[in-house]
Amino acid sequence: MHKELLQQLAQAVIDGNKDQAETLTNQLLDAGLEAKAILDNGLMPGMDVVGQRFRDNLIFVPEVLIAARAMKASLAILEPLLAASNAPQVGTVVIGTVKGDIHDIGKNIVIMMLRGAGFRVVDLGIDTPAEKFLQAAREENADIVGMSALLTTTMGYMKTVIERLKAEGLRVKTMVGGAPISPAFAEQIGADGYAKNAAEAVDKAKALLGV
Amino acid sequence: MNSRQRMQLAMTLKQPDRVPVMCQLSLGHYFLFSGVDPVDIWYTSEGFAEALIRMADRYRFDGILINLPGRDPEFERHIQRIESVPEGRKIVWKNGCFTLFPQDDNPHYYQPDGTRYFPTFEELEPEKLYYVEPWDITEIAYPYSWGFEAEPAPFDDFFPPYHMDTIKLVKQRVGERLSVHGEVFSPWSQFLELLNYENALMAIMDDPGKVQACLERLTEGAIDLALHQAETGVDAVLISSAFAGAGLISRQHYETFVLPYEKRLIAAIKAKYAIPVYTHTCGAIGDRLDLMLATGTDGIDTLDPPPLGTVELDKAKQQLAGRAFIKGNIDPVNTLLMGTPESIAEDVRWRIEVGKPGGGYILSSACSVAPRTPPEHLKMLADLAETYGRYA
Repeated sequence: MHKELLQQLAQAVIDGNKDQAETLTNQLLDAGLEAKAILDNGLMPGMDVVGQRFRDNLIFVPEVLIAARAMKASLAILEPLLAASNAPQVGTVVIGTVKGDIHDIGKNIVIMMLRGAGFRVVDLGIDTPAEKFLQAAREENADIVGMSALLTTTMGYMKTVIERLKAEGLRVKTMVGGAPISPAFAEQIGADGYAKNAAEAVDKAKALLGV
Repeated sequence: MNSRQRMQLAMTLKQPDRVPVMCQLSLGHYFLFSGVDPVDIWYTSEGFAEALIRMADRYRFDGILINLPGRDPEFERHIQRIESVPEGRKIVWKNGCFTLFPQDDNPHYYQPDGTRYFPTFEELEPEKLYYVEPWDITEIAYPYSWGFEAEPAPFDDFFPPYHMDTIKLVKQRVGERLSVHGEVFSPWSQFLELLNYENALMAIMDDPGKVQACLERLTEGAIDLALHQAETGVDAVLISSAFAGAGLISRQHYETFVLPYEKRLIAAIKAKYAIPVYTHTCGAIGDRLDLMLATGTDGIDTLDPPPLGTVELDKAKQQLAGRAFIKGNIDPVNTLLMGTPESIAEDVRWRIEVGKPGGGYILSSACSVAPRTPPEHLKMLADLAETYGRYA
């Protein structure tokens, strides 16, 4: 029964059916399944399919957004339980759109993909100064600091953040992305990783952490 | 042959004396390099017209795109105070809202609590929509009203009298020698701006019928604005359709939510005015040039090359030759912003050689020129067009 419900939950995520995802999550909990098992065997397989289809250009941003919304609805139920159980996570990512930049759609999709892959993600929002990245990286014991920028006027700030992280001696990996960002730019500013899109961001984050 | 004639021939797929040059500059570039106070550029028709003309002349561009609406000449009556802040300037308005004005980028208007206003999809009533101008000085309102006006304007007299002022000023000063273009936001762009992208993109999955009803209304306003611009004397109308590439939506969604409305907009302009209408869509559009052509557009702007987009100029030239003019394809980030004079010369020369044959090519940055692009990089473009872009 659990297996069938989990498959239905994965499908609800793939279909972007928020109400169904909430209902199934509650049913699975009522049936005695632990939150971590629901995450690992329902939500993550669903988002894995979404990520693969997105990578293969079979689906596009609207489909990913509604899948993410369905997953978020389920996670809202599971997260208090996950926190209470101290269940292990793949890793912790602190992520934000850099200072001066108020664009967040790309960052938000990356966040949902990372959460769907089992990462714990702390969203710092938009217009994020270096101090906020540093503080969150320390307080959340982050494994990765992710930065997003849409503007050529703000992409240079990624270097400022990376330099501050290094100067403060924080042992954390850095990832960057956004429309004007290229692998060459990422290398130039000393980032550990670059991802072209949200699906690649998950792969890169896993690679950086060796998982 | 003057610039206006050169552009006219290129936009009608003919061969001028040489490849024309016309880039869309970001507002931040005008703020940084025009010598006109950014507040005047943003808030006054006169300031923006002055900046447009100065920069077109400095870079020897053959045309000017007027991509802000004319402004209320009495906007200052709404200001309470202007403060210096680390980001630049903060304009506090009498209604308690404020605008943060960076030195090098577009300003944004905030509610007193520091948030930006956007309506929800649920509260939208399609019949209350007409046109959404995201660069109005108070940005998004719903139902839509101009600036600090309390009430929406009636749809049969929607655009305020000052709306065409910048076009009129530019036409008066350089209209005989330069090609002057107006800009209209596509219905799809308006819809995304109205709901702040993410909610708009989910709306097409949740209730496509309602989205289409909204787009129908927004098409009416776009037609009205474009006809006003044409009547005022623009040489071409650009449809700003930034968010219709594969970075956001599929071909199927383009066919459903973009193509029919842009097609209707273009047809309505052409039914009354014999001026070119062309389309600016950012990012990955290599998979949908055929759909863009199906809108009836006369030209395609941007054509971002990899890694920003997916358009290789040689392939696009094959596909579009004789059907639509090409304006763009120079990478504004990796070439114009970050390149060296040598790399820029090599890159631009290749694009001229590929784009020039048979006419119908305008040398341009793909997407907008980034604010901090060195002016000397942009000055090279007209020189390169003179050297390599001459037709026999």
